[in-house]
Amino acid sequence: MLELKNIKKYFNAGTVDQVTLFDNFDFTVNSGEFISVIGSNGSGKTTLLNLICGSIAPDAGNIIFEGKDITLLDEYRRAKFIGRVYQDPKMGTCPDLTIIENMALADNKGKNFGLSPAVNKKRIEYYKELTSQCGMGLENRMNVKVGALSGGQRQALALVIAQMTDIKLLILDEHTAALDPKTSENIMKLTDKMIREKGITTLMVTHNLRFAVEYGSRLIMMHEGKCITDISGKEKEKLSIDDLLGKFYEISIEKGN
Amino acid sequence: MLEFLGSLDVILQDGFMYAIIAMGYYISYTILDFPDLTVEGTVLSGGVAFGLLVTAGVNPWLAMIAAFLVGFIFGAITGILHVKLKIRPLLCGILVSTALISVNLITTVVGMGGNLAGDGALSTIDVGRSVPTLIRTFPATLLPTDFFGINPRKIISFFIIAVIFKIILDVYLKTKNGLLLRAAGNNPQFVTMLAKNEGRSKILGLAIGNGYAAVSGALIAQSRGNINQGMGIGMIVIGLASLIIGLSVFGRVRFMKPTTMVILGSIIYQACLGFATFLGVPSAYNKIIMAVLFTLALVLSGKLKTKRGKINA
Repeated sequence: MLELKNIKKYFNAGTVDQVTLFDNFDFTVNSGEFISVIGSNGSGKTTLLNLICGSIAPDAGNIIFEGKDITLLDEYRRAKFIGRVYQDPKMGTCPDLTIIENMALADNKGKNFGLSPAVNKKRIEYYKELTSQCGMGLENRMNVKVGALSGGQRQALALVIAQMTDIKLLILDEHTAALDPKTSENIMKLTDKMIREKGITTLMVTHNLRFAVEYGSRLIMMHEGKCITDISGKEKEKLSIDDLLGKFYEISIEKGN
Repeated sequence: MLEFLGSLDVILQDGFMYAIIAMGYYISYTILDFPDLTVEGTVLSGGVAFGLLVTAGVNPWLAMIAAFLVGFIFGAITGILHVKLKIRPLLCGILVSTALISVNLITTVVGMGGNLAGDGALSTIDVGRSVPTLIRTFPATLLPTDFFGINPRKIISFFIIAVIFKIILDVYLKTKNGLLLRAAGNNPQFVTMLAKNEGRSKILGLAIGNGYAAVSGALIAQSRGNINQGMGIGMIVIGLASLIIGLSVFGRVRFMKPTTMVILGSIIYQACLGFATFLGVPSAYNKIIMAVLFTLALVLSGKLKTKRGKINA
């Protein structure tokens, strides 16, 4: 469903510090996949997500989504079919608006933001139902400003909000990294449950090797702008954390560390 | 006593008419976090548009709507400079308000039938007794103009207009579009994720804010009886100080709408200025007092915030 073809991406282009991150990078996401992306810092994980979402543009190459070339499509236009949850829980919600107001906005995604009342009272029950699946008691705090919630609660809400309307691709950008171990575990379970229920194609960047092994149908490891490992199916099911750690050491030795 | 009532008269009139600028700043400064300097120009533009139309015989309510639209357009230009050309907020305001100095002067002189090459003697528009402004037409004419030294007609008319604009803003902020504007100020990335262009929300917010400033300009023109080219000076400070005083004094009052806080803030600010006049401070000191009051408002609102922060921590 999503194809990156011959992508080139440079940083500090035209200066002596020019760094080539992607050089003819190819990557394909198939419909229904839940892909975990791992890799060390600077390997190109976040740049990959930013290219897909349109936060940055490639220097060359094409991004094809369901047969359409979206390489030059604005980020906000891509948001119609792409949902994203960031590492920072603050990014996915508006702190000064209540849970209901945040959800009412998300509920209207893709439609016209005109002069009709923002909150439709008939939908509030539905919002409560959606938040109750987080198991954090958010459904009893619907009129609380989101800024007053904890990081975990905000991230759970961001996750619900990201997929309130029918999106085709969900991007998770280290979305559990800023949370404590217990909360991070809960959010990951919630994520998995939601993805399974809706069957959304997902791309998740994580530094948590256990999450990468336990969840998802495909795993890729990035290194210096290349996919050096791409495992799916039966092979993915058999994969252990030790296998992955072994890979990481191999890379380190190659680099002479 | 009469002297006191006289001061009260001015305080309420000015409080209500400047409250509309402050409500405009509630959108640009509080919601969008954009210190908009365009206001100095758009207040005068609103006055000029209103004055020219009313002297030409246009219905004063229509003239006021026209003033709003003029402010709306110039505010949108500030927004476009910022969003499309990526110019910093302060500079956008400076650029547009500088250009507006000429725009306002040219409009005035040409509108009054003067000659631009001349000495600019026609740079003032008279909206005095013979001109049918809001306060000289129905329904305001039902109210008396003198009641123990105060002018109920002006005060009540301005009060009603301020309340109308307050209610419009309150209702707007509860609509889908209004909520999107609040989101754009709060977390622009969130608006992007809603598949909306956050830049457009910003432009719209600045346009509305300046529309409000222009309406205020139309009221100032009526209150003073004329429109001169220096009318906009000091309006940024008046608007922002009223806003900040209102929000910091009443910020903790539950169930009070921010727009109500802003109107009360504007009256408090005018009361402080009125008190200085009452004490016999010459009006030449006015702008110094305004600057000092604004500084105090900024410092005090900061103090209140840190106190609250400490309690929470």
